[in-house]
Amino acid sequence: MSKHTISITVNRQRHQMEVPARRLLADLLREDLHLTGTKRGCETGTCGACSVLLNGELVKSCLSLAVQADGCAISTVEGLANGDHLHPLQECFMQCGGLQCGYCTPGFLMAAAALLAQNPNPTEAEIRKALNGNLCRCTGYTQIVESVMRAAQRMNAN
Amino acid sequence: MEHSTLGKDTPQVNARAKVLGRAQYAGDIKLPGMLHAKVLRSPYPHAKIVRIDTSAAAALPGVMSVLTGDDCPKSLWGGHHKERSILARDVVRFAGEEVVAIAAVSEEIARDALDLIRVEYDELPALFSPQESLTAGASNIHTGRNNIAHAIAFDKGDVDAGFSQSHLVFEQTYSTHPQYPGYLEPMATLAHIDVDGRLEVWASTQSAFLARARLASALELPVSQIRFHQATTGGGFGGKIIEDANSLVAGLLALKSRKPVRLVNTRLEDFQAACSSLPEQITLKIGMSRDGIILAKEVRIVADCGAYSGLCSEIMHVSAMRSDNMHRLSNIRCHATLAYTHNPPHGAFRGFGGSQMLFALNSHLDTMATKLGLDVVDVHLKNAIERGEVSAHGWVIGSTGLKECIAQCVESVPRARGESEAGDKKRRGWGMATAMHVSGNRTIGNWDGSTVVLKFHEDGRVLIHSGEADMGQGAATMLSQIVAHELTIPLVNVHVVAPDTDISPFCLGALASRVTIAGGNAAIVAASAAREKLLRFGAELLKVPLEQLELANGMVRSKTDPTLSKTIGELAKLHIWREGGEGIQAQGSWDAKTTMHNNLKGNVASAYSFAAQAVEVEVDTETGQVVVTKSFVSDDCGKALNPMAVHGQSNGAAAQAIGWTLYENLLIESGRLTNMDFADYTMPTADALPRLASGIVESNDPNGPYGAKGASETAILPGAPAIANAVFNAIGIRITELPITPEKVLAALRARADQMESARG
Repeated sequence: MSKHTISITVNRQRHQMEVPARRLLADLLREDLHLTGTKRGCETGTCGACSVLLNGELVKSCLSLAVQADGCAISTVEGLANGDHLHPLQECFMQCGGLQCGYCTPGFLMAAAALLAQNPNPTEAEIRKALNGNLCRCTGYTQIVESVMRAAQRMNAN
Repeated sequence: MEHSTLGKDTPQVNARAKVLGRAQYAGDIKLPGMLHAKVLRSPYPHAKIVRIDTSAAAALPGVMSVLTGDDCPKSLWGGHHKERSILARDVVRFAGEEVVAIAAVSEEIARDALDLIRVEYDELPALFSPQESLTAGASNIHTGRNNIAHAIAFDKGDVDAGFSQSHLVFEQTYSTHPQYPGYLEPMATLAHIDVDGRLEVWASTQSAFLARARLASALELPVSQIRFHQATTGGGFGGKIIEDANSLVAGLLALKSRKPVRLVNTRLEDFQAACSSLPEQITLKIGMSRDGIILAKEVRIVADCGAYSGLCSEIMHVSAMRSDNMHRLSNIRCHATLAYTHNPPHGAFRGFGGSQMLFALNSHLDTMATKLGLDVVDVHLKNAIERGEVSAHGWVIGSTGLKECIAQCVESVPRARGESEAGDKKRRGWGMATAMHVSGNRTIGNWDGSTVVLKFHEDGRVLIHSGEADMGQGAATMLSQIVAHELTIPLVNVHVVAPDTDISPFCLGALASRVTIAGGNAAIVAASAAREKLLRFGAELLKVPLEQLELANGMVRSKTDPTLSKTIGELAKLHIWREGGEGIQAQGSWDAKTTMHNNLKGNVASAYSFAAQAVEVEVDTETGQVVVTKSFVSDDCGKALNPMAVHGQSNGAAAQAIGWTLYENLLIESGRLTNMDFADYTMPTADALPRLASGIVESNDPNGPYGAKGASETAILPGAPAIANAVFNAIGIRITELPITPEKVLAALRARADQMESARG
């Protein structure tokens, strides 16, 4: 198995590392960088639990090879808060019951962050469409949608 | 009580860890020198294992352990029947059964090693349905036993007389299909041998103590030699009660390799390894009076447990008799048979057999109401059991809000019918259904209790030890709310320690909707004991008579002179630092005042939860697609300790019910699952659902903590029949075989058109 040296910025921190060609980005984050907030739920890109931002774009890290992220900036759920100061999405998911077991939550937060970056004032239908690449088995989505709407309001008010 | 959160929307106490990505699930935990495990599974539904050659796999650099059935203890594991080897020995009985387990220094090497194993199988004829396996002369799936895993029969009152007195007797057969639990976190375990030589395990489970017992029995270890931690659990829905082999395989590998071993199912493996819900064929015959009173009921069930019966005996039991208790019935008869087949094993799923029977029952009542020209809502109301009544099976109904649930959901979803707003080939319809469930269940063993231990820090904050499981439903929040309320302290001053069999008191965990009623009551008892200690010690320190003291705002104080007070923190510290002192600890236990059922009769639960649901659907008569456009679930949870959590449970349950009813369908061809991923096994996404809504009915059960009963399982039960009834309402077609796929709807529409054509011709 060939190895490659890659340079990658994760949550504003630069890393240079040697990875096997078949290392998935999800495994690089979880196993090599110990950022286990990014979850693996399906390995086929259908559950969205591994969603991260790559150069600001939402990607599924279980479908991306680590070597593909060479030279890129990655944001994971661990980078969402500013120190102890939670991102409005994190606050609203807590307050609106947008999470239960929490396993899908990092993926939803990243997908919602990507949505709000592009569309700061989405309708309910737009939120539901933007989140349709993420599965949640606990909530039935009602409270997740409410969480995103409230976060959008809060971010727009600031 | 300014700090109390009881009855208020309360974020989960572990929500912050979850939104920060810091919550540690079993697959997130690492130990130094940890190995990664993989499992080779049988590709055949039934085969003899002729030989297994593991030499090439074992020789691969980085592979540390390769185990087969020969390496397993002789003891078998299982639920009702102990019948399963951790790794198959001599014979495999379903496609997906665990055959070889590997531990290697990386997941990639473990996966490579799987490809190097050569297993020679001699494929044997397989039985794929109860009809086949119950036929006289069918070969025995388990040696020395026939293919009936369990049978239930009862006959109460005079069923035949009831039928003969009925104005309408109607019989229909319904069939239900298995549903995959679909928790987002696949099964995961980390196991290692600790410094004292004991087996220490972190796993995703709904019950640390039951998991430990299963592990101990299968690995032939005393329970005291195992320390089982419940890691943060990413959903369970029944699937993580007891039946996975995941922790057994990881435990075995750790014992044999003497190294830490982590086994995390891939989703594909999880589909193969985890139990899906029990498929049942239900024939229902009901006799009704002219005005819709049920006079007699006969039930016949044939269920397919797959190759290993697990919890299916208990699940079929629930199907067979639980829904009888929601009605006032005198004449009931049931015969139920659980059959082994060579299909993948089935097991517990939220509702535990209730969904299957309530689909049949609610569909049946809807049909009979139509035939009698009655409003189905009235039929439900007329037959509903009332508070204070004792059901045909001896269940004592201490509270019921069923009638209020019916009223609430019917009011919330208006009865629309006819063409949809689009005015095209879509037809709208309305349907409703009702349900009941237990809060706790004594049939597990002659105990349905719980214990909570409270340990006070010197700063006055309190640790809560409980073995009850939080799998995402909010158990830790519920326990925190109760203890904080009782001790008059803020929620942040209490902390729930995750279940750890070395530290937590023995508890049964999250099953049978028992955690709020059992764990919640134990928390009240423990907090009362703590309050008593605090007040007595306060009386001693403050030199104030006990009866003049109160616990308020986190301090013991004089009712008459507010300057005489000590905070809980001061008391906790002073309780240690004195002659003969000690840290403050208090514990409390609670056991349900219920009875083991005897001959299928007895009050098995301390409370019973009820629910009703109304839905509106849109049926596309050109494509056959059914879309749920409105849904409202009303849950009688006794008292909502955390309304936000109850709504979350109800909405999540409604989503699961919609998935099961319309499209979640495990395709099993000749015993092999063919759709083992979320692209082909489709669960509802956010854009596939309407804004699900829910309501709470508070019937204040006398046995519940502050009146609370279990919430959430009841809420999944009425969804399927409410949708089926709405489809009937929309297009006049009764679907009796789930799921309600476009193909079935179109076929039924076509058949009806043909029938009308030939009637005209």
